[in-house]
Amino acid sequence: MLIVQQVLNGLMLGGIYVAVAVAFTLTIGILNFLNFTIPTLFMLAGMIGWSVSFYGLPFGMSEPLGWIPSLAIGILCAIVASLIVERFTYRYFKAKHGDATEHAIPLVSSLGFLLIFEYMILIAHGSDPRGFHTPFGDLNWRVAGLVISIPQVVGLIVSLAIVAGLSVLLARSKLGRALRATAEKPDTAVLMGVEVNRIVPIVFIMTGLLCGLAGALFAVNYGEVSPFMGEQVGTKAIAGMVLGGLGSVWGAVAGGLIVGLTETFSIYFFGATSAQVTIWGLLLVILLIRPKGLFGHNAIGKGKF
Amino acid sequence: MLLEVAGLDLRYGATHAVKGVSLTVGEGEIVTVLGANGAGKSSLLKAIAGAEKPTGGTIQFNGRDITGRGASQRVRDGLVLVPEGRQIFVSLSVEENLLMGAYTRSGAEVARDAEEIFDRFPNLEARRHAPASVLSGGEQQMLAVGRALLARPKLMMLDEPSLGLSPIVVDQLFDLIAELNAQGLSILLVEQNTQMALEVASRGYVLELGALRAEGTAEELAADASLVEAYLGNAEDAA
Repeated sequence: MLIVQQVLNGLMLGGIYVAVAVAFTLTIGILNFLNFTIPTLFMLAGMIGWSVSFYGLPFGMSEPLGWIPSLAIGILCAIVASLIVERFTYRYFKAKHGDATEHAIPLVSSLGFLLIFEYMILIAHGSDPRGFHTPFGDLNWRVAGLVISIPQVVGLIVSLAIVAGLSVLLARSKLGRALRATAEKPDTAVLMGVEVNRIVPIVFIMTGLLCGLAGALFAVNYGEVSPFMGEQVGTKAIAGMVLGGLGSVWGAVAGGLIVGLTETFSIYFFGATSAQVTIWGLLLVILLIRPKGLFGHNAIGKGKF
Repeated sequence: MLLEVAGLDLRYGATHAVKGVSLTVGEGEIVTVLGANGAGKSSLLKAIAGAEKPTGGTIQFNGRDITGRGASQRVRDGLVLVPEGRQIFVSLSVEENLLMGAYTRSGAEVARDAEEIFDRFPNLEARRHAPASVLSGGEQQMLAVGRALLARPKLMMLDEPSLGLSPIVVDQLFDLIAELNAQGLSILLVEQNTQMALEVASRGYVLELGALRAEGTAEELAADASLVEAYLGNAEDAA
């Protein structure tokens, strides 16, 4: 039973990684851009959500708000932050230098935004973890000796439902078709009348939404947020994305869940400090056997999703 | 005139790709632009399509100045480019490729127009839901033309459509170009296959190192052997 409990815990934890890993894989798959701001968007949703629920809106505009509107505002802030990042990092791609700077500039700029956002929150709220309280923090469902946290189950379902919705959008809609065409041949997509400058922000809105949602789920499930919450989740989500295969949405889902399970079992068998070694060790072994990841395609920039 | 390009200039950094080129395409005409590799033919078409920003000159289409309009607006205006190398989206299905051509349009007419293209090209219909990567070179070229037709163009620009195709397929392609023209579509055709291009076109221009060297009716250009030798170095291999 303890093992089954660990599987459940691992899947719940993986649910958080899934949303963030899908955000990573979308920007890599469509824009060929490793967006380092993703972990900080996750953190912003959690910390701003906490701040609004603790102090209310800034400049005394309101009393502290309930947990739902607070987290909704947190998610909205993550989306807005993601659009700011688009404006100031990804648009550099338009300046085609034809050398390494083309990829390095957005990457380094996004790393800059990661630190700027993180330290702005640190300046505002300090480095201590903060408790985030919801009415059902301890709402559990006990069956056959197992403890199942209801908010976590709901969170996992919401997370998977959003990813499923996104993947249907990519596969079936006109917008999804244009995104896939742009991912493969941006110059040709332009000739079809696709306005790349209008379509790229949509990827960043999806990124902000996924990370914001994951941050909000984290706050509800674990009842605690901190300015550093993005870093650990971010690196594990990257591991999940690479494990599943770059640019593959369902690969990121599988990878996120596998990382969650690996972490939980590693902690269970070898203690709390072992998780990073096990996760990254597993990743390196899988990459040795299958360099494109579990569900990845051979080439980045071709035939994704 | 449907298309009037005047003094078009295009530079990429130190490269002066197009040097003050002027050309026109009349309603219902097929006009060809000839020239060797690197003569600036593709750059010229990309600038007309709005994919490259010209450094000088003006472009008038259908009686209005479109020099400052974006590529997407030009597609809406009815100015469509079939790019060199076909540029099929291989990660999309055959049908999805066609529908990308209708990106600027919406409504029930799009599906009807797509069916018309499938009727015209039964080979594409048979692989409608397959990834476009399974198509042969000739089928990909038909798909690229079909995709462009779905934008409902007034003027279709084709960049080296015969490149890499077998002689039989090239014949089919030029038949198709003539047929589309007979149905009222104006065409600006860039080719290295001089002989075929001059057979189907009514007028032509010769481009060398980005500048216009000659222009005339197809008969005049075809008759002028020295011209072909001077500026179309590899015309013989291409034909």
